[in-house]
Order: sequence, then structure tokens, then C-alpha cells
Amino acid sequence: MRPGRALWDRLALAVAALALWQLASLAFGPHWFSPPLATGRRFVELFWNGELLRHAQYTLLAAAGGFLLGGVPGALIPFALRRAPRLGAVLDPYLVAGYGMPKLALAPLFILWFGIELASKVVLVASIVFFLVFFSTAAGVRGVDLRLVAMARVAGASERAVARHVVWPGAVPYIFAGLRISLPYAIGAAVVGEMISANRGLGYLIQAASQDFDTTNVFVGLLALTVLIVAVNVIVEAAERWLLRWRPVDVTPVRRLASAT
Amino acid sequence: MSAAAPPVLEVQRLGKRFEARAGRAEAFWAIRDLSFVVGEGELLTIVGPSGSGKSTLLNLISQIDGPTEGEIRFREQAIAGPTSGALRPGWDRQFGYVTQEDTLLPWRTLGENVLFPLRVQGGLSAETRQRAARLIQAAGLEGFERYYPHELSGGMRKRGALIRTLVYDPPVILMDEPFGALDAQTRTQLQADLLRLWNLGRKTIVFVTHDIAEAIALGDRTLVFTRAPARVQSEHRIPIPRPRDVRNIYVADGFAEMYERIRKELE
Repeated sequence: MRPGRALWDRLALAVAALALWQLASLAFGPHWFSPPLATGRRFVELFWNGELLRHAQYTLLAAAGGFLLGGVPGALIPFALRRAPRLGAVLDPYLVAGYGMPKLALAPLFILWFGIELASKVVLVASIVFFLVFFSTAAGVRGVDLRLVAMARVAGASERAVARHVVWPGAVPYIFAGLRISLPYAIGAAVVGEMISANRGLGYLIQAASQDFDTTNVFVGLLALTVLIVAVNVIVEAAERWLLRWRPVDVTPVRRLASAT
Repeated sequence: MSAAAPPVLEVQRLGKRFEARAGRAEAFWAIRDLSFVVGEGELLTIVGPSGSGKSTLLNLISQIDGPTEGEIRFREQAIAGPTSGALRPGWDRQFGYVTQEDTLLPWRTLGENVLFPLRVQGGLSAETRQRAARLIQAAGLEGFERYYPHELSGGMRKRGALIRTLVYDPPVILMDEPFGALDAQTRTQLQADLLRLWNLGRKTIVFVTHDIAEAIALGDRTLVFTRAPARVQSEHRIPIPRPRDVRNIYVADGFAEMYERIRKELE
């Protein structure tokens, strides 16, 4: 599809969504369903008085911190385990169990252990991001083209060189799939942490507003979260495009998988 | 090749058995009791029915895989066999291997792919870069150094894989149906290119194919393999003098006769 055409279709979809939102607000009443115009007005107001940025900053900090704390080991450990298959086999059931455990249920514990400040949210986010990135990267490391590995070895490449020149570039799309999938979860986890216990952050904003029955502020918080996720996604996508510039086409199975999640 | 010169490569009573696994009930021998020698600077071609363990043989020589029985000797030293230790793919860069599938790294440009062995061997220098540039030119790939493999034709990728092996100058080059997937014209061109490059350096080449004409056109000597488990069924010295004209090899003296003989053996 031509990009210009897609843009128009997207705009039309946005108009339709706004109309539906307005209709829902009329049907249920503005107190239950804040109308788009009021939400927009409040959004601009909170944006200009700095309130929104203050909360968004806090949420973003928790998400980014957890993203790094979980994502970096999640992307590196599969490479280490490739050289230690026995250790990998031993750890596997524990990693699966860790992946399956609902991390949001751990939020109260993390708050107990790490306090109501930033640290508990960072740990909560990291605990989710780690497993998503780990399993995605591990799939990429396992799926490395063995013919390329054999070729590199015959050409005199050491284990290290094989990891760097063959396994790593082959796994990069999988690492990015993991990162893209975990991105909304990361921000979501930070928000949940803030809803449970915090005095800042978009989660706090939403929680406090809903306690005051201020649905407009709740909608503003949700809108701000969506904008945040889309913005961060654009950044990750740009990094991915740059790292994968050797690829023949822009649309890849991994990308489709990531955007479908 | 004089009779006194020791062979570069000796394969002695080699056997490779693949164990049974799910979906394949019985273990089977791909190669068994296989023996032959390769002389210094010789271009040996091996022809056999598909599935006759030819690729397995090259995997064993290049040490991507280990034999079940028998021995492989390189310059009179046992490199693979019951007594040798862990696999050492390429035997310390003594063997180059051009495989059937194209194994250029898709995330590196053609130029970087050609330099890849030098880079990982720590052998990048102004001199070796120049050598790479000369090879790229000789293979007609000049101007395509910055293209990624998917942007090149199948024939260009093959040429790239070939000069990637030549660039670090291994004494023995193994080739596994390297031109199999190409159209006839590109194929003939690459065969001619190979002979030209071989003439410059006179490496030892073991060239596996299922194409009788290709085996005759390129080889000093041709081995005919049996069906699996592969053994040497017969051996033929190719009487066609060099330099050979690959394009018109069909009319060369002795070609038709040799072709018929090998074809009958493969029936």
C-alpha cells in the first residue's frame, strides 16, 4: 500500500474512533465516560501546568530502569548458556516456572521488600521484561543457522568470533521481538506498581482520579499512557531498523509477531 | 604428479554411520570402507548418485563431523580417526570448504564477507586486503562490495563464497556441488572461472558433483562412488589436456567416451 493512502485511512479510523467515544459518552453520561473534548482540554491543561510530565517522567523512569535491569541480562544470558548446555538444561524448568509466575501478584511483596519508592517498580518491571526477552533471545540463539556456524569454524573463527559474527546478528531480530513485546508490559507493570502504592506516576494519577470519581483525569492518564507507549515504540523501531538494515524487506515475521501481541 | 610425492590427503577405510532416531527407524552407513588418495595440486572430482554420502565425506574431511571408523591423513598426519581428539573444523585453516548452499553471512556486505576469514583469523592487513580486492576483481565482482547477499544474483553469491575461501589461501579446497543450483550458462562461466583461478594457484581441490560432464570437464582424475554406503566404484584419469575449454568440452577428444563409461557405471 502507498504510504499516502495508509495515512488517510488511519485518519479516517481516528475520526471513527473519536465519534464512537463521543457516542459512548452521550449514551452513558459524561461522568461515567468522559467525552473526547473534555478529555483533550484537560490533557492540554495538565500538560501545560507540568503535572502530566511530572507523572509521566516517574512512570517512564520506572519502566526504563526495569527495562534495562531485566532486558540486558535477558538478552545476554542465552549467549552464555549456549556455551554451557548442561547448565541450560538444569535451569530450564526453573526459568519456565519463573516465566509462568504472574509477576503482578508479586507487586505487594516487592513493595514490602523494596519500599514504596522507585525501586519496587523497577524490580517489578524487570521481573516481567527479563523472562520475555530471555525466552525470545533463547529461541533466536537456538535457531542460529548451523551451516553458517560450520562455515565460520572452518574459516578459522573462534567460539567468541562465532558468537559475535554469526549467533549475535542472527539473534538480533528475536531480541527486538522480545523487547517490543515486553514494552507495553513494562509500562503497564510500572503503572500497576504506582496504583498499589505511590505518590507520583501516571498509575497514581489514574488511581487518585478514580477515587475522586474524576473520570476525565482517568481518561487523561490512559491517553498519556498510550502516547507514551507509542512514542517509545517508535524509538525501539528506529533502533531495530538501523540494526537490521541488511534485511531485504521491512516487514518480517518477527515484526508481525511483535505488533500482533 | 610423480609417484614418489606423498599424497596430500589419504582416506583409509573410512566409515560413517548415522544413528537411528525418531522418524528414522534404523541406523545407516552413509560411507563404509572408503579409501582413496589425493595428490598435491590435484583437482580430483567425485561423482556419484545423489544420497551417496558425498557431502558426508567432505564434512568428515573438513572436520565438521567425525568418522565412525577409519582414518583421514593430511600430509602423513592422522587428523581424523579413532585416536584423534576433538573435532577441529578446517584443521587450522588447512581446508577451505565451499558448500552447496550459499553460506554468505546475510548481515554482512559482499566485501565484508570476503574479508570474514581474514578478520576472524586476525589476518587483516593492507596486503591481505589488496589480495581480497584482486580476487574480487578476478571474479568480476568489482563494484558490488557494498551490496548485501540478498541483493546479488545466485551466481554472484557463489563467486563470493568461492573467493571468500581463496582469500586465506588454504592448501586444500573442498567443494560440494557448488554450482548445482545455477542456470547452465552461469554454471559454465563459473566452471571456467574456477579453472582459471585454480591455474593461478594450483591448489589441491576435491570437487564433489552429481554431474558427469562437470566431473570430466574439471578433474585431473574422477572417482565414481557407489550408492550409500559409499565406496569407490572406479577411478578414471581424465585424458583431456589443459588448458581446457569448458564451453566446448563436449567436443574434446576423449570426452564422449569417458562420459559413456561413467554413465554406464552409474546406472
